[in-house]
Amino acid sequence: MANHQGTIFEEQAEVLAHITHPGDQFVMRVKAPKTAAKAKPGQFVHLRVSDERALRRPISIMLTDPERGTVDLLYKAIGEGTRLLSERKVGDTIPMLGPIGEPFDLSDTSKRYILIGGGVGIPPMIFAADHLYGRGGDCVVFAGSEVEFPFALKPSATLLPGVNGNAILAIRSLEEREVPSRLASNAGLYGCYEGHVPNLARDYLAALSDEERKRCVLLSCGPHPMLHAVARVGREFDLPTFLSLEEHMACGIGGCAGCVVKTVENGEEKYRRVCVDGPVFPAELLPEFA
Amino acid sequence: MSNSPDLSVSFAGLTLQTPLVLLSGCVGFGEEYTRVEGWDNRNIGAVILKGTTLEPRMGNAPHRVYETPSGMLNAIGLQNPGARYVVENILPNLPHEQTQFWANANGTSPEEYAEVARIFEDSPVTAIEINISCPNVKEGGVHFGNDPRMAARVVEAMRPHTSKPLITKLSPNSADIAETARLVIEAGSDGLSVINTLVGMAVDIESRKPVINNISGGLSGPCIKPVALWKIHQTRAVAAKHNIPILGQGGITNAKDAVEFAVVGADAIGIGTGLFYDPLMCGKLLDGLSDYLNRHNLGSYTELVGSLVTNKA
Ligand SMILES: Cc1cc2nc3c(=O)[nH]c(=O)nc-3n(C[C@H](O)[C@H](O)[C@H](O)COP(=O)(O)OP(=O)(O)OC[C@H]3O[C@@H](n4cnc5c(N)ncnc54)[C@H](O)[C@@H]3O)c2cc1C
Ligand SMILES: Cc1cc2nc3c(=O)[nH]c(=O)nc-3n(C[C@H](O)[C@H](O)[C@H](O)COP(=O)(O)O)c2cc1C
Ligand code: FES
Repeated sequence: MANHQGTIFEEQAEVLAHITHPGDQFVMRVKAPKTAAKAKPGQFVHLRVSDERALRRPISIMLTDPERGTVDLLYKAIGEGTRLLSERKVGDTIPMLGPIGEPFDLSDTSKRYILIGGGVGIPPMIFAADHLYGRGGDCVVFAGSEVEFPFALKPSATLLPGVNGNAILAIRSLEEREVPSRLASNAGLYGCYEGHVPNLARDYLAALSDEERKRCVLLSCGPHPMLHAVARVGREFDLPTFLSLEEHMACGIGGCAGCVVKTVENGEEKYRRVCVDGPVFPAELLPEFA
Repeated sequence: MSNSPDLSVSFAGLTLQTPLVLLSGCVGFGEEYTRVEGWDNRNIGAVILKGTTLEPRMGNAPHRVYETPSGMLNAIGLQNPGARYVVENILPNLPHEQTQFWANANGTSPEEYAEVARIFEDSPVTAIEINISCPNVKEGGVHFGNDPRMAARVVEAMRPHTSKPLITKLSPNSADIAETARLVIEAGSDGLSVINTLVGMAVDIESRKPVINNISGGLSGPCIKPVALWKIHQTRAVAAKHNIPILGQGGITNAKDAVEFAVVGADAIGIGTGLFYDPLMCGKLLDGLSDYLNRHNLGSYTELVGSLVTNKA
């Protein structure tokens, strides 16, 4: 039998905190000790938002506290299911499957990981940065949003090459851990780079020495146009690029083949399951992003 | 504690350790659900593997699934690695000592179905379900299911190539399901699966495109339960006359649903979409079923099957 047996837990996750942010964004902290203990950056949970609904909703894991057994999520209410989720109160329990999926590979300590997140694609980047910080890894976070960021921000104390002077704000929790971060927005948000987040990352990469740039790996999660732009940046500088994808899901366990994305592997076209073969895929395998 | 009722059932000459059968397409090739902590194959009478064709199939472009009120649409398009691969590379690794695995055979011609049967004949699957009613492939598929004579031809073509029980999966979309049942039984079916998905569609009103890339998809889940019960009721008489068992399915998510299906005439209980609500539902369902049987002083699941009380003769 395959060695993934018993790796996904069904927990009755109790809502410990649920905070509303502008733009229908919500940060939810739940108690789910088994998921918290095992989750890795890039993985997600599958939430049963209502007993009346046939399908669960996949949401990325933003942060875990294995000691307290908590899992933090950031989501945007965009439809019926996420709206139902947003109505959950502190003390409610939500059936939750997790952790699911192939995580980001953050194991190479000689690399600098460039974490590029857009909107509700930012959470996996926060988790990856936290993981790397704990292991002395090298990373930079670039986050983009068209609505106010659902995080505490503060001016950064570090300078980043290629990043223009207006982009001074950083994500506070990362700043406090000396993980450099910068923000981008087209909505005229104060202290942010004005433009798309992949362009901010590109400016940074272009300003690095060849030697430094060669060490970089791009990891990204966000809307499709953003992932396309990140893939272009990866190709321009010839850097390994990994994208976290979304697709409609039914089982979330690998059983239904409902959640596929097309890959080309050794010249052969395939449909891979986003839930368990992904959600993270090397951009070079994805014809849509090639 | 009261005595535990006997949940084992006999089905087409096989003994299933429980009446629960996991349905094709919902549980991959038999080991995906072992990912879930607490999963127990011993709760399950049989696991039906994903629909398999002679040659590998890539399946349809996404979106392949979409939620609908109390159910879902799917158009996977029979993504599978081909029958030989399944027999050579997948079946040897499955825990056959914990539960039984059945094949789900598909094809575009009676000859292809026959070849798939021949390949699975030399394998540890204990039965072959015939999917004559897949709504999601352009060729063959549902057309066989809608035409009773074509359905019977598929069964006839497979019959000489396997000694394993053949279970024909009937489409709710056929005009006369009882007539299809009669013809496929006469052609050599040892069991019936009732029902496969209904055909439906959904539209994204912003883009005005069909949500499912294939346009139509198979509708499953609790929304089809009343249809499934009625189709089993319609099929029951002809099946009973030939002593042929029915694997009832369509929207079962809990013990109450399972009891309804049993009462109407399901010799075994199929679980598909219900697993998407709760992957660990099988253990809970069996507990609820045992409680029900105890409450009604029934010593076994089998005593419940076909016990519908009607005023009509
Ligand atoms: C691996 C993964 C991680 C995700 N992480 C986050 C996150 O951290 N925060 C966040 O806000 N959102 C995230 N999403 C997207 C989130 O799952 C969808 O926004 C949500 O399912 C929409 O449900 P709904 O009922 O509100 O919307 P509706 O549009 O009403 O949903 C209808 C159906 O389509 C599905 N669906 C619609 N949009 C998506 C989508 N983008 N991805 C997958 N299924 C979709 C729904 O699950 C549902 O079955 C993630 C998706 C995936 C696949
Ligand atoms: C995602 C999905 C894939 C399916 N694939 C197959 C298949 O390959 N072969 C088949 O005979 N039925 C297939 N079905 C139909 C189911 O086996 C079952 O008959 C149907 O879904 C009704 O039961 P349910 O409501 O419990 O799911 C599929 C159903 C779903 C939801
Ligand atoms: S959602 Fe079922 S295989 Fe991914």
